[in-house]
Amino acid sequence: MILIGMFLALVALVLINVPVAVALGVVAAVAIVWTDGVNALPNVALVLFDGARNFSLTAIPLFVLAGAVMNASGISRRLIAFASALLGFIRGGLSMVTIGAGLFFAEISGSAVADVAALGSILIPAMKRKGYTTPFAAAVTSSASTLAIIIPPSVPMILYAVMSGSSVVELFVAGIVPGIIGGLGLMGMAYWISVRHDFPIEEVFRLRRVAETFRAAAWALSLPLIILAGIFTGWVTATEGAGLAVAAAIFIGAVIYRELNLARLRESMVQGARQTAVVMLLVATSALLGDVLTSMQAPQRIALGILEMTENPLAILALLNVFFLGVGLFLHSAAAIILVVPIVMPLVEAAGIDPVHFGLIVTLNLGIGQQTPPVASVLMTACSIARADVWDVTKVNVRFIGVLAAILLLVTYVPAVPMALVNLFYR
Amino acid sequence: MSLARLRRRFQKLLEAVVLVLMSALAVLVVAGVVFRKAGASLVWYDEVASILLVWLTYYGASLAALDRSHIGFPRLLASTRGRLRSCLIVLGEAVAITFFATVAWAGWLVFRVLDGTYLVSLPWLPQQLTQSVIPVGAVLFIAAELLGLLDEPAEASDPPPGEVRPS
Repeated sequence: MILIGMFLALVALVLINVPVAVALGVVAAVAIVWTDGVNALPNVALVLFDGARNFSLTAIPLFVLAGAVMNASGISRRLIAFASALLGFIRGGLSMVTIGAGLFFAEISGSAVADVAALGSILIPAMKRKGYTTPFAAAVTSSASTLAIIIPPSVPMILYAVMSGSSVVELFVAGIVPGIIGGLGLMGMAYWISVRHDFPIEEVFRLRRVAETFRAAAWALSLPLIILAGIFTGWVTATEGAGLAVAAAIFIGAVIYRELNLARLRESMVQGARQTAVVMLLVATSALLGDVLTSMQAPQRIALGILEMTENPLAILALLNVFFLGVGLFLHSAAAIILVVPIVMPLVEAAGIDPVHFGLIVTLNLGIGQQTPPVASVLMTACSIARADVWDVTKVNVRFIGVLAAILLLVTYVPAVPMALVNLFYR
Repeated sequence: MSLARLRRRFQKLLEAVVLVLMSALAVLVVAGVVFRKAGASLVWYDEVASILLVWLTYYGASLAALDRSHIGFPRLLASTRGRLRSCLIVLGEAVAITFFATVAWAGWLVFRVLDGTYLVSLPWLPQQLTQSVIPVGAVLFIAAELLGLLDEPAEASDPPPGEVRPS
């Protein structure tokens, strides 16, 4: 009964636009006072402090900052030029460039919104000028940007790892193959649409141009790769790798490209701090709610209820997929991970599903959630840049969402797709 | 001083604080790697880095509250008009302010209890200093909520561009 009351109160608060993080804290604090009295209130302050005090989560501000600094250093322009030399000869060239640049940018940034802002501001106007329809330009940029959370590094994966007690490194490695397949799948769909609408090619393929643009983008492409390799081989932890990524980004921006000045660095840092705080306040207040739910044994009871219906892992995965797709419609990915993952983990473990495999399934589900209104952070950003109507863009984007859904099914029911590299190197 | 000017100065102050915290965090983590690889690990670095993250969380959260960047669901509110809209805005603000006032009070109680205790890895650093972020951050959040009201339109205009958030 208390659980239902808490859920209804949470929904009511969110609907009147109380920030989700605050709504979680309010509901948890009221539940604590209700069950343990006012004397338990100092626990609220202690849990709010300890909830945000986690060394693994320190990777989030650092990866966000590295992406922001790279973007302020003209990296987007160089990556786009390289992608154009490489893929611009294909029909619908600029859409291929968008997806290709999205793949490259994903290895630098762990945030899809950062990607869509960085790539969309250059590529959406360019596509519109070349005669691509506005909804198509917004849709392809939006979907391509979702690759950022599948390909390492990934902020949602770091959050999932902390919430589920899984290895960040294994999650990062598990994202590589699905991310590449996702990129190729999106390119296939963009090509099919481009042929039907006779969208133009961008430039003729010339090896010399590929070499020139690669030289310009090489630093930005290779340093993040080296740092990721350091993380994968255990030379540094994910947090330390994130710190090195910041140092590398500043070095590339200020010394190599000479486009990063103090004002831009300052702006990147403030922007990174703001984005981090939004996610971390959610983490802190959800720790409060997590304490309440754990004391009520809510996750275990939910797991038991579902296991009484079926114990078949495939059926449970199907149920969880539908559940997460529904959650993704209404919740931002960080909020969804923080709220839902601790609740479903007992079920996942009881059904014998590998937590790293499940982490990829969750990430892909929430990647689709970023594309589906009403709450669709990446799609909304793309629409805002393109000045396009959300529903017009969604009508086109539904095909790209279909591709992402197909990848989700592949990852769900062919565990080797995400897990082969993990099993090969870590188990 | 006008309210708009006060808001600008408050924003500058918070930006300066998060700038220092973000820089310190990045420098500390890089230094941690360098010292560890040099065979002279800094025993205090992960504890201090975690505390910097907590500070970044709460001071940054106030900054995000000032420009209404926290993850929310503004669509319903945006579709309302007139008195109903004003009532819902006031109700939402009252809930947030009451929550953070409670947190500030609870944080103050904890702050007093921690008198005379120190960090494990840095025995000269009082826990009162590290924990002060909860009451101070809560008060700053309340101030940010109130000053952020200056940007709140009296009437609904165009639908919001969407819930544009990181990740």
